[in-house]
Amino acid sequence: MWRVLIVEDDSQMRAFFAASVGRSPELLLVSSVATVAEAKAQFNSAAHGIDVLLIDLGLPDGSGLEVIRHARQRNPACEALVISMFGDEDNVLASIEAGALGYIHKDAAPDDIAKTILEMKGGASPISPMIARRVLSKYRSMQVSVPSAHIVAESIAIKSDALAAEKSILSPREQEVLELIARGFSYAEIADLKNLSVHTIQTHIKSLYGKLEVHSKMEAVLEATRMGLLPQQRLTESAR
Amino acid sequence: MRSQSHRRGVPAWLGLGLVWAVPSAAAVLTLSQARAVVTVDGKSISKEVQLPYHWDRANPGQQGGAVFDIDFDLPQAHGGVWGIYLPRLGNAYELWLNGVKLQAHGEMVQQQGDTSVYNGADFGRVPRYITVDGGHMQSSNHLRIHIRADVGRRGGLAPVVIGPQTEVFPLYERDYRWRVTGSVAVVAFCFVVGLTALALWTTDAGVPDSTRSGRDPLFFFVAVAQLFWAVYVGDVLVEAPLLPWPWWGVVQVIALDVWGGSMALACMELTDWQSNTWVVRLRQGILWLMVMAPAASLWALSQGQPLVLTSWYVAYGGTLLVFILGFLWRAFGHANAEQRILAAAALVNIVVALRDIYVFRFDASYGANTWLRYSSVLFGLALGHVALMRFRATSAQLRGLLGTLATRVSEKEIALGETYARLEVLARQQERTAERGRILRNMHDGVGSHISSAMRQLQGSGSSDPATRDEVLLTLRDALDQLKLSIDSIHLVPGDVTALLANLRYRLGPRFMAMDIELHWDVDLLPVCKNLDAGAMNELQFMLFEAFSNVLQHARAHALRVEGHVIRLDGAERVFVRVVDDGCGFDPSIGQRKGLATMRERATAIGAQLRIRSEPGQSTVEIQLDV
Repeated sequence: MWRVLIVEDDSQMRAFFAASVGRSPELLLVSSVATVAEAKAQFNSAAHGIDVLLIDLGLPDGSGLEVIRHARQRNPACEALVISMFGDEDNVLASIEAGALGYIHKDAAPDDIAKTILEMKGGASPISPMIARRVLSKYRSMQVSVPSAHIVAESIAIKSDALAAEKSILSPREQEVLELIARGFSYAEIADLKNLSVHTIQTHIKSLYGKLEVHSKMEAVLEATRMGLLPQQRLTESAR
Repeated sequence: MRSQSHRRGVPAWLGLGLVWAVPSAAAVLTLSQARAVVTVDGKSISKEVQLPYHWDRANPGQQGGAVFDIDFDLPQAHGGVWGIYLPRLGNAYELWLNGVKLQAHGEMVQQQGDTSVYNGADFGRVPRYITVDGGHMQSSNHLRIHIRADVGRRGGLAPVVIGPQTEVFPLYERDYRWRVTGSVAVVAFCFVVGLTALALWTTDAGVPDSTRSGRDPLFFFVAVAQLFWAVYVGDVLVEAPLLPWPWWGVVQVIALDVWGGSMALACMELTDWQSNTWVVRLRQGILWLMVMAPAASLWALSQGQPLVLTSWYVAYGGTLLVFILGFLWRAFGHANAEQRILAAAALVNIVVALRDIYVFRFDASYGANTWLRYSSVLFGLALGHVALMRFRATSAQLRGLLGTLATRVSEKEIALGETYARLEVLARQQERTAERGRILRNMHDGVGSHISSAMRQLQGSGSSDPATRDEVLLTLRDALDQLKLSIDSIHLVPGDVTALLANLRYRLGPRFMAMDIELHWDVDLLPVCKNLDAGAMNELQFMLFEAFSNVLQHARAHALRVEGHVIRLDGAERVFVRVVDDGCGFDPSIGQRKGLATMRERATAIGAQLRIRSEPGQSTVEIQLDV
């Protein structure tokens, strides 16, 4: 049974999601809170007791992204789904980079909510064509800039992290899958076209999510180091 | 004063000379009396002469030779080094002391009737100095000087100065410095001023929009005057003529001619007399006389007619004098500073020229030097100064014009920048207006229309009716989907129809699945349609949403096929998007729903071709787009 924490400031919506989680015998609602502070407190006290985080991004005392990062730091096994009204690509991409694995629409049916959570715990990781397109474009620009990034990295003695960045660039198969998703094909159709299982496709996407999260952290650390906000000796630890 | 007479072993036809020695200082003798044997046309005449002996005055228009014998006694011991200083002699000469040949320059007449030696190199231009060892000096000495004299080349012999080197050499050195070194300095100065003026003239582009649009002739006249004067003065340094006689003499006359004429023309440029009839005639006269100089000089020198050249000199000098006097009157009366400076220089030069004419034509002093060569420097300086001032003024004027031009360009740039900024603001305003219009239309046709439909559905029947509830739910879901698509459209890349179709599928796919409609996706990677901007993409998205929505709401279909292909049609590539369902069909001509009419309007707006075909079992919405 997966233990779920809901963070949503709209009480009606919070109640709806709580009820939706409660309807599934495989899910257990740990708590439902309305603020960043309350959510962080939950992770501080019972980090290892939360498997799933359902979180809204616009909270009264901060951004849900902050909670996602806090949760991933405290309990890397905890998987986050963002509660979104529109699932627009800016917010979704920011969530993925913070460590979320997907999102649930606010207008989703109660059964669909539980289903999406369970699919995520089962290894599924949905991605929209728009996000796929954005990720492809992001990785292409990263591939172009890696040599210069490498030089910068050497100059500030973080060669190992630069190598990690190179390794995390898309594999040809991942790129192929992303291109088909960007063209509108479903996982099943891609699996048929490429003679793969749907599970393999999902694995590729999940791995991609991990890379996005790693890159997001590395970019933040590199930027902070360039700006002199972090000492260089802490760089390796921070980037990991 | 002592006089002595000595016979020496010299050719009999030359005869003997009686010499009077005049001691000018305790140890220095100036010998100014001689017995001369003058030979012209093979006839020799022996006579006593007083030095200086000016050949051209004694034998006008004739060439020939003379031997001067001078005896002199030395009153005391004569050891050490002695020197003989000859201020002028020539044109060619030989010099013996006590029967010893001390120096010779140029060819002498060796036999009667030999005229080929005349008019060659002229060695009479510079003073001469000969060092004599005291051992050669005796109590009674005999000096013999043999000269060859050409016509009109200032041949002859000046008084000879003899004495200890310490006394005589400084006299020679002073004379040499005055005549030769001074001439070199004048030549160098003239070249510098002349070449500078020439550079100013060649680089002068004039001043646009002023009275003078071409090059300033003042610079040209100054350049020509100075360069020709350099040639004239430099002649003293040239012993061997660069051209055969009489051409080199002609060159010298032309140099003097052009110098004088150019100076006058330069002065005219400084006045506002150009339109004055009197000055115009004077100018023409000067130009005519300038042109006549080569012919007059050639005639005079080649035919032995010095009067021709003298006449030309008188006419030319007189014309120039008239002009210069007029210029002086004008300058000192009511002219500007430039003219006064030049007038002062001209006055000095006139005075000096008159002095030179007197000395060279009337005075007995044969070895004297011309002063005009030095006083002309004043004229050169004055003209150079005027030319430089004028050039500075022209440059300042040009700088002013360039400054004005730069200011105007800068003002135009600013104005252009402001125009661009205004246009940009207008473009942004138009863009905002268009965007606002698009959003309003989306709100009206999409969310607004669906919400009002939902309200009508609720008002039309009881909210508890399950059929009505489902219908309202469907309508509201449509509204929300359209809202999501509107938000997605913000990020759509203009022209990327593949991404637009993919996004539609992503948004509406779950609803097809929920309604058990099997979806067949057959979309190629389509090329970018250049004509589809952000607004057109939005229109296309709504057209396709309408097509999908119709299938979801009305078709009762089991399968939906979405195709996206590129087809070459009439030589051009076109993108075809088809939405095909197997539902109950409808009559497209009736326009049973407002949605179909809106689709047609949107297709027209973006330049797409829309075809709708429907029959029970197959309805097709086809959209063709230009690539």
